[in-house]
Amino acid sequence: MSTAAILDKLDHDAGARQNSPRPTVMDEQGKREVRRASLAAVAIPGHQVPFGSREMPVARGWGSGGLQVTLAVGGEDDTVKVIDQGDEEGVNAVNLRRLIRGALGCAGTGDTREATIVQSRHRIPEDRMRVGQTLVLQVPVSEPLRKVEKSVLECQRMHAEADYSRIWVAMYEELAVGGMITTGASYPVMVNHRYLMAPSPIPRWDIPRLNHSEHLTILCHGRDKKIYAVPPHTPVAPVVFDDVPFEVEHTPGSRCELCGSEDTYLVPVQGGNFLCSDVEWCSRVRHRDVDAVEHAALAPQQYYPDAARRQSLRTIGVSDPDRQALTVGGAQAQTALGPDGTRQEWSLKVSGLTKVYPGSWGSSEVVAAADVSFDVAPSEALGIIGESGSGKSTVMRCIIGDETASAGEVRLAGLEDGRRNVFDLDLSARRRLRIGTLAVVYQDPSHGLDMGISAGGNIAERLTAAGWRKYHEIRSRAAALLERVEVPLDRMDDVVGQFSGGMRQRVQIAKALATDPKVLLLDEPTTGLDASVAAGVLDLLRELLAERNIAVVVVSHDFSVVRALTDRAMVMHRGQVVETGLTDQLFADPHQAYTQRLVAAARS
Amino acid sequence: MSYAGGNRGGTEAIVAAEALRAEQRTVHQRTLSVEAVLGALPEAVDRVMGEAGLWDEETAAVAFLQAAGDSAEAVHLLRAHRSTLTRFAFSEPIEPDAIVLDRRICSAHRSPDGPQLLGSTVDYSPRLLRRSGEPDPLPPNDELLAAMASAEARTSAEHPDRTPQRFTRYLAENNLLSPHSESGVDASGLEDPEPYDLALQPVRLPASRSALLSAMALAETGALVGMWYRSITGPDGYTDETVTVGEVRHGEVDLSVRHPHTGEALVIGQVRMTECEAIDHLNDRGEDPGKFTAGYGLALGHNERKAISMAALDSAAHRIRGTALGDEMEQSIMLTLDGLAANGFLEHLKMPHYVTFRSMMERAEAAQAVAVPPVSTEDDTREDYAE
Repeated sequence: MSTAAILDKLDHDAGARQNSPRPTVMDEQGKREVRRASLAAVAIPGHQVPFGSREMPVARGWGSGGLQVTLAVGGEDDTVKVIDQGDEEGVNAVNLRRLIRGALGCAGTGDTREATIVQSRHRIPEDRMRVGQTLVLQVPVSEPLRKVEKSVLECQRMHAEADYSRIWVAMYEELAVGGMITTGASYPVMVNHRYLMAPSPIPRWDIPRLNHSEHLTILCHGRDKKIYAVPPHTPVAPVVFDDVPFEVEHTPGSRCELCGSEDTYLVPVQGGNFLCSDVEWCSRVRHRDVDAVEHAALAPQQYYPDAARRQSLRTIGVSDPDRQALTVGGAQAQTALGPDGTRQEWSLKVSGLTKVYPGSWGSSEVVAAADVSFDVAPSEALGIIGESGSGKSTVMRCIIGDETASAGEVRLAGLEDGRRNVFDLDLSARRRLRIGTLAVVYQDPSHGLDMGISAGGNIAERLTAAGWRKYHEIRSRAAALLERVEVPLDRMDDVVGQFSGGMRQRVQIAKALATDPKVLLLDEPTTGLDASVAAGVLDLLRELLAERNIAVVVVSHDFSVVRALTDRAMVMHRGQVVETGLTDQLFADPHQAYTQRLVAAARS
Repeated sequence: MSYAGGNRGGTEAIVAAEALRAEQRTVHQRTLSVEAVLGALPEAVDRVMGEAGLWDEETAAVAFLQAAGDSAEAVHLLRAHRSTLTRFAFSEPIEPDAIVLDRRICSAHRSPDGPQLLGSTVDYSPRLLRRSGEPDPLPPNDELLAAMASAEARTSAEHPDRTPQRFTRYLAENNLLSPHSESGVDASGLEDPEPYDLALQPVRLPASRSALLSAMALAETGALVGMWYRSITGPDGYTDETVTVGEVRHGEVDLSVRHPHTGEALVIGQVRMTECEAIDHLNDRGEDPGKFTAGYGLALGHNERKAISMAALDSAAHRIRGTALGDEMEQSIMLTLDGLAANGFLEHLKMPHYVTFRSMMERAEAAQAVAVPPVSTEDDTREDYAE
């Protein structure tokens, strides 16, 4: 085409536009921003890309996000299909199609095969979408973690670290309590094995259609200002345990009363009958204008619900292998590698740990821990004893990562053979350490447990964080652990908030040992319990430590606890270590006056 | 103006401020009649009546006009007016199923019993500004013209005049409605024989269901929507986004009172109202996932935003009754949603406060005199802790 011809055509087009002006719904800068965000979303499948979502002439929640995407990626040459619940005649579809066609000057269609862009609310068309087509899904809730976490910042962290164990725990809880998953539409999916994604509330029926699809899917939440995408040929999998079948919506014997289809997504109508939700497909079936064989293959028949398979999910049992795994060398000894390549004797080494709380109005500077150093070998237990305020708990919190130390080093044999200072790790890496390397039992069980979920679910949280994905294995391991800490198994599915203090502490211990950590920190593990209950927990801990090649630090104000559990001990007073030695010797022959007072208190 | 100088209006300035407002108001009233307000701004009038708790369209239009379109001020005028009225009788409970429908939407079912009656609404129209004299920015396209033509060609179907079945009845017939929603009994177990009238009685906690519903029916619409939205997207959410609208209805119902002598119920007039049933799946821990629960909302006049947010919050309030979160929510509903209370407290900040402020200043000065700086707060050491 010559330049003159192009100019002529531009003049002609401009003239045509003058005659029938189109409303401007969105300015060019806005469209460009949506396109840029869409490209970013395609580049990182399933990741929510924030964008400056503009206000549209439809209510936020009526597809203002999907509308922006369609207006930004579409043009005059496109053919747009708009559906709501699978229906072109739905109020939302009619409204949006009118706006899109008016603003883009493009053609509209009901036929999925003709469409270049399909904008949809709640459905993916029954017909297979093909190469080159774009599916735009309107999203009412973009955050798949919202139901387990209300904090936006925490959700962001969980996505950044791919820390999705809470979603798995929610699944575990539903299976353990009700024998099935109750999530209806908006079932969470993993995209490209990396990001957890809310697939807009398409029914579970449609989820397999996102997996390795030929078309591009762009999902947009206008209200929350997020765009995300599933590019063609991307793996998309519903979040489901390896050994529990995913289920789609299906009522046995149901069929469309108009077209007779049995392999489509059906919605109930009056009189107990059903209709195809996809009106176009239903009409084409009646006109014999479909490839029934291809559709039957596409229909998710392998996921039809089967109540018979659910029965075993609530049973509780402990297998012998699980039981043995707990007692026979659950943890192998692990020591650090020295600079010269020789094995060191310790699993945990703390050097020069210092914590200073700065002063502020109304409070003066406090040196909570000054230059504290010690190491612990496998199968060894070290006690840290002191009154409240002596700094012992501060030392513990700095090692765990609940507080930031002012100075010092902590090394773990389980972390790069002890060559890396734990304090040099970022928060994310420190959190990961606590999954399998470094476990804690807190004085207050609510710090270590989620009181709103079951005993089994609390253990499942640690196991799923460590990558366990088989429901029955998780359940069996949790049962074995609970049996070992003497929690009655018929209470395994009760929420921990209903448990007594001693029982909660036993659950916390079971959770701490779930992944066979190499280092265990016990912070006043029996404080706050009745004397007889405390004695029982202490006996249990003594047995568990004896069974394991685990390095243990026990923090307590009570010399009798330290004496029951540890081989060596150090005494802390006002942030300083004032005396160290073998626990029995310290107890029998304390040198410092302060230690003598502690011993006297334990003897009284 | 002596206000700025002395921070005390003085009688003369107060009278002048009122006169200035009255002068502007006369200008308004000359150009805009009560009838025009009723005809052109019915949604504003309805909202004001609902928040005021007084059904009188003409009086509400007068208030709206006098308040220069400030709905909070109009509500205030109507509430104050209500205090001047003697209560001659208490109405009988209205029968919502005898409603004459203007509009009825059921979102939860493709083809519910009775019509999806869209009525008069902007829900389905593009929100494009349209100045007078300019052409329609989005004229009907071929598709819409065809639809309109076929609608004209079709003889409109006659529907018998009856009230469609409520969606909760449909759920109940299919054994899917929770017993609590079916009976309407207060989940807290509080006695609730008579509707709690917040115009005559103080707020008391714990509140019965009827008191919670009354507080929401009277609530400032924006505050109620805000609380509902916060409960969904806020950091302390107590409901989720899975609420489905079983019914939204707008229509007219008869109002009747008992004759003082004969004891017979007599219809004394009609009110328009908006009603909503919000359906939620009982899939939280401890609930029966084989059932749905229904929350209820009702607002005077046409106010779908209020009815829907009220129904969703009613549902949430009953699901979490008796928990710490439920107690918090109950207090928020009962004590923070009333527009007159909230706006009044805000307005009071504009009054002179120099006596109390003087008292605070004296304490600040005293603190300076005795101040002891924090011990050892060298900034270079502080940086280490801020990691």
